Amino acid sequence: MLQKPFLDRRQMLQNLACGFGSLALADIAHAMNQTTSPQLPLMAASAKRVIFLFMAGGPSQHDLFDPKEYIRKKHGQPIGSPLRKEVTQVGTEKFLALGNAVPVKPRGNSGLMISDLMPHLCGVADEICLLRGMTVDNPQHASATNQFHTGMFTEVRPSMGSWISYGLGTENQNLPSFVSIHAPGLRTYGSGFLPASHQGTPLTVPLNDKILPVENLRNASENEITQRQRIDLTKRLNRRLLDDLHGDANMEGMIQNMELAFRMQINTPKLVDLSNETKSTLDLYGIGGKDSDKHGRACLLARKLSESGVRFVQVTMDGWDHHGDIKGSLPKLCQQTDQPVAGLLKDLKQRGLLEDTLVLWSGEFGRTPWSQDLSGTAPIDKHGREHQPESFCTWMAGGGVKPGFTHGETDEMGYRVVNGKVHIHDLHATILHLLGLDHTKLTWRHIGRDYRLTDVHGEVVKEILA
Amino acid sequence: MIKLTPVILVCSMFLASKSHGADLPTPTKEQVVFFETKIRPVLVEQCHKCHSSEAKSIKGGLRVDNRSMLMKGGDSGPAIVPGDPAKSILAKALKHDGLEMPPKGKLPDSVIRDFETWIRMGAPDPRKLVELPIARSIDIEAGRRHWAFQPILDPKPPLVKDASWPLDHVDRFLLAKLENAGLKPLKDADRHTWLRRVSFDLTGLPPTPLQIKAFMDDNSPNAWENAVDRLLGSHAYGERWARHWLDLTGYADMMGTSNNVYAEHAWRYRDYLIAAFNKDKPFDRFIREQIAGDLLPANKPGERAENLTATGFLMVGDVEIVEPDKAKLEADYLDTQVSKIGTAFLGMTLGCARCHDHKFDPIGLQDYYGIAGMLRSSPSTHKTAFGVWSSLNTTDLPETPEQLKARQGLESKTNENINKWKTEKSSLEMQRKAVTEEIARSDKAAPADKKTDAPSSTNKEALVKKRDELNERIRKIDGTINHAEFFRSKAPKAYAMRDGDRVADMPVYIRGNPYAPGIVMPRGAIRVVSRDKFPTIPEGQSGRLQLADWLADKGNPLTARVLVNRIWQKLFGEGIVRSVDYFGTRGETPSHPELLDHLASRFINHGWSQKRLLRDLVLSHAYRMGSSNDQESMMVDPENKLIWRMNRQRLDAEALRDGLLQISGELVQGQGGPALVLEEPENCGSLALKGINPPNYTHRKPRPTEEFQRTIYLPVMRTNFGTHDRIRAFFDFVNPAQISGQRNQTVVPTQSLFVMNNDLFRKRATLIANRVLSESPDTKARLSHLWLAVFNRPITNPEYEEAEEFLGRLNSSLNAKAPKDLETMLWRELCHSLLASNEFIFRF
Repeated sequence: MLQKPFLDRRQMLQNLACGFGSLALADIAHAMNQTTSPQLPLMAASAKRVIFLFMAGGPSQHDLFDPKEYIRKKHGQPIGSPLRKEVTQVGTEKFLALGNAVPVKPRGNSGLMISDLMPHLCGVADEICLLRGMTVDNPQHASATNQFHTGMFTEVRPSMGSWISYGLGTENQNLPSFVSIHAPGLRTYGSGFLPASHQGTPLTVPLNDKILPVENLRNASENEITQRQRIDLTKRLNRRLLDDLHGDANMEGMIQNMELAFRMQINTPKLVDLSNETKSTLDLYGIGGKDSDKHGRACLLARKLSESGVRFVQVTMDGWDHHGDIKGSLPKLCQQTDQPVAGLLKDLKQRGLLEDTLVLWSGEFGRTPWSQDLSGTAPIDKHGREHQPESFCTWMAGGGVKPGFTHGETDEMGYRVVNGKVHIHDLHATILHLLGLDHTKLTWRHIGRDYRLTDVHGEVVKEILA
Repeated sequence: MIKLTPVILVCSMFLASKSHGADLPTPTKEQVVFFETKIRPVLVEQCHKCHSSEAKSIKGGLRVDNRSMLMKGGDSGPAIVPGDPAKSILAKALKHDGLEMPPKGKLPDSVIRDFETWIRMGAPDPRKLVELPIARSIDIEAGRRHWAFQPILDPKPPLVKDASWPLDHVDRFLLAKLENAGLKPLKDADRHTWLRRVSFDLTGLPPTPLQIKAFMDDNSPNAWENAVDRLLGSHAYGERWARHWLDLTGYADMMGTSNNVYAEHAWRYRDYLIAAFNKDKPFDRFIREQIAGDLLPANKPGERAENLTATGFLMVGDVEIVEPDKAKLEADYLDTQVSKIGTAFLGMTLGCARCHDHKFDPIGLQDYYGIAGMLRSSPSTHKTAFGVWSSLNTTDLPETPEQLKARQGLESKTNENINKWKTEKSSLEMQRKAVTEEIARSDKAAPADKKTDAPSSTNKEALVKKRDELNERIRKIDGTINHAEFFRSKAPKAYAMRDGDRVADMPVYIRGNPYAPGIVMPRGAIRVVSRDKFPTIPEGQSGRLQLADWLADKGNPLTARVLVNRIWQKLFGEGIVRSVDYFGTRGETPSHPELLDHLASRFINHGWSQKRLLRDLVLSHAYRMGSSNDQESMMVDPENKLIWRMNRQRLDAEALRDGLLQISGELVQGQGGPALVLEEPENCGSLALKGINPPNYTHRKPRPTEEFQRTIYLPVMRTNFGTHDRIRAFFDFVNPAQISGQRNQTVVPTQSLFVMNNDLFRKRATLIANRVLSESPDTKARLSHLWLAVFNRPITNPEYEEAEEFLGRLNSSLNAKAPKDLETMLWRELCHSLLASNEFIFRF
């Protein structure tokens, strides 16, 4: 086990570095920057931070970025199954082609293909680097989500945000290095065997007074003075105990953390408060809009956190799991997310942050070109699509990737990758590369083995580097 | 289901390659041209990077840069069967049939056709035949030299200078090393500290004020023994130590991580463990039951039920039952099971050998697939009638006549209820019919255009309201009937192993891929830790029984060592081997190898009794040492590797929660039974016998007692933690997808927020305050009471003054309506302050 009850100074410092406090820990942070990160050879970094927009559920690449002429022509007709016979699917028995629900057209100077459903994103098409040959190894939400975040779908491993936090340390000692807004599950922000200070801090955007941005943030006492006195007594008891024991790093850490926690109570609500933002900023993100308010707030918060030095910010936007009536449901999701996402890109650009901020947009997998109808009786226009890990679309922007560039291609039906395949391990390797980290050297020794985010796989996708 | 054909196929290819191999005819000129223009460039461009001398590491053991290596093939066997493209792995891989080569994307069809043509020609290859060194392999004999694979010895306790210190042989082993280093054991902890320590360690609960008094008043030399025997004899002991074991199983009340599909029988394994620890089931027997309980003879239905339930060990892990590729589902779950056996019993990372021989330890594919073959012969899952879903296999448990009678009683009660509800439903339906008719009549009497007719419209509104109410009641009653019929009492079941119809050795899955079977491996155990050949497995049996015997054999050098080290770690904070789950060559070496062997052989000699070992250890002098730091010893051994003091430990999530509930007086005695509240219809979704998705569970309505039950009885969800269980999300509970014998002890600010503000602490502070106020007469007595309850020791004078001062100062900041409220508020803050302090959160 890594977290020994008897911590050395380095570990203790690591443990202190996690939370929305604003304690003057400058000296500790200074010491920490020298010690938390592994000794890695310096590589040129084109990105300093990452914002990962996770589209949970698996958005349909066919309707958003990669329509197929063949499928459009065959709409409603059987196209034959490319699946291995051992693989079961339900509601897809007829393998009917399902043409794209709305037009997907070339946009901007680059001619990058984007759906009519994303008018705002079309406006920033020339910033985007589209990967059409993404692939993961599992067709199930939970497994594929784990793999997208940690590289593995069975074993519990550190998430990519944790690896990056470990690799680069923190830019701002008063903020955690990894924040996950509306996190889709423990393992997506867990630090696995890496020190706990690298685990993501889950954050909820408070849409009303009842929602706490961070759990247990509300003072349990009558008022702040009472709570402060209570904490002070605990602190005196703790100090005396520590003297009696002649020191204990873990307990020292607990004492410091109580102060940090107290400050988190005060500072976090300020941090997530968007009431002082200008109207033009709010409008840019679609904040106040009927559908786009929630994700707009999350994206603006992501920008603020990123700007303040949080290395890895994740925003999860769910609801993309369209097994039925994709024509009716997909527009709603796009209305909820299009303006917030495009607003974020525009805002980063105008602030000069896009250059060294890598934005990643992806689901855990994509969807099939053939239709799915779980009812067995719906007309083709009410069908949806099944999960497809074999190929799907992911895009990146900023942070050293080629703008307005499309990489990778699938076969005529949009099932198998025929060139420019990017496995999730390759994507992880590329993200680390852009951050100046060699994915084969960023390791942690655990039960006898040097573990990596990319396990024993992964190659940097050189074609997309700017 | 995987068919057996690939295995046979590979075997026949082996024969084929032997007959062809090196004796291929010299290629003709045309054939050379074909090879040089169509084949070699592709091999060089597409394959050499991973499959030639240019490769950084040879992937899959295959090289294509010379003829003999290509013919010999890699891990999956020969790459080419000359003349037969359909049987050639190379051609199949190019077509992405089974393997997918090149991995970056399929080559053009024309190229694939060229390769098929070439193979059909007999794969003429002008490149020189060169014998290359054999690929990496493991050296079992050399591997045996590693300390952990050596036989367990029974070393003599060493002589020590200070002969008065040791109370047990254990102490001699420790003291001898300390004396050697010029160190002394730290002076004993006081009796209060020792009692709190041993109570938390053995039962996960603090001592009560009465228990403290009994121990303090016991002046006999047996006082310690008396306390320990009381603790080991308590029900709480099993509840504590079963939870340690659950950390090694991946236990949850959910099957996989998707859709919250409930594992409704998992609790039986948890209850089996609690009972097994409480009756001190010998560990060798405990192993046999968990690996092969279904294959053991049993005399009574109860014994049979116990044996079957025990095999839940292999069943309860994280299984992705929604995986639509059933061959992959099986292969992944086999891996979970093999890894679990390796980690829990052997302290070895067997999972590494799924794809290749272990990189550091002398464990090969043969070892992995030897065990995997047994488990594959006893399938754990089956496809259900729900969409793509599978489920864990169950076995009906035999019932005693009393159990059967009790169940029949329940069943007739259910039938009675259902009949009652059905009657109620038809009466409601009659009422609805009447109301609906009345509405229709009123519609007729007062056509829509006559809106001015006020009384009639009010009447109609009331009728419609009544109809809607009736609809709602009927809907609810339908739900209740459906739920009762779905969960109609059935024969008790457990998730249990049983040998299947297809008992056989299994092939290596190349890179873990079930569609790329390699050579077949005989079923067997880990060779490097076996002295004898693995026994013959009787025809038609999986071999789990033989594996269980092999694991539980006293000659197995790992089993006893790994277990006694786990027990040591729980008591002393760190293992003698600090990497408790890994005894391999890259793990930690034992700080006290002789002590480890002494404990292991003593454990075996005492009939594999865990209680006996625990008793001996907690009664040792070493376990009595204080836990503070000593300047001199710190200089020599800052990490306490020589164990000159007791290690302090932060309480884990369970001990914190259970401890709080015990102190507040709320803890209820655990009875076991289902953790999930399936009897509440609102917790159960999609109750149908078939459909797209299986029934699921949401923990909306807990049982009233849940808030006060020990944590081990609360549902373990794979995706989140329930309301009364949030503490596990913050204090290092082992993720149920993980197998880990030692919890982390992280220190992060969100824990401080939890301690400062969460209701678990706040409510207990209130209750303890009320208790202290009502049970003790004055401030002085109340403070003593509080300190004894929370810190399990008397209050000191400075603390007394400090507390009084605190109460006095706090007075002014509080807004109380009445003096009595104020008193409660003051004491609640004081209690909360104590509960949040390190002295409560740690054990010393």
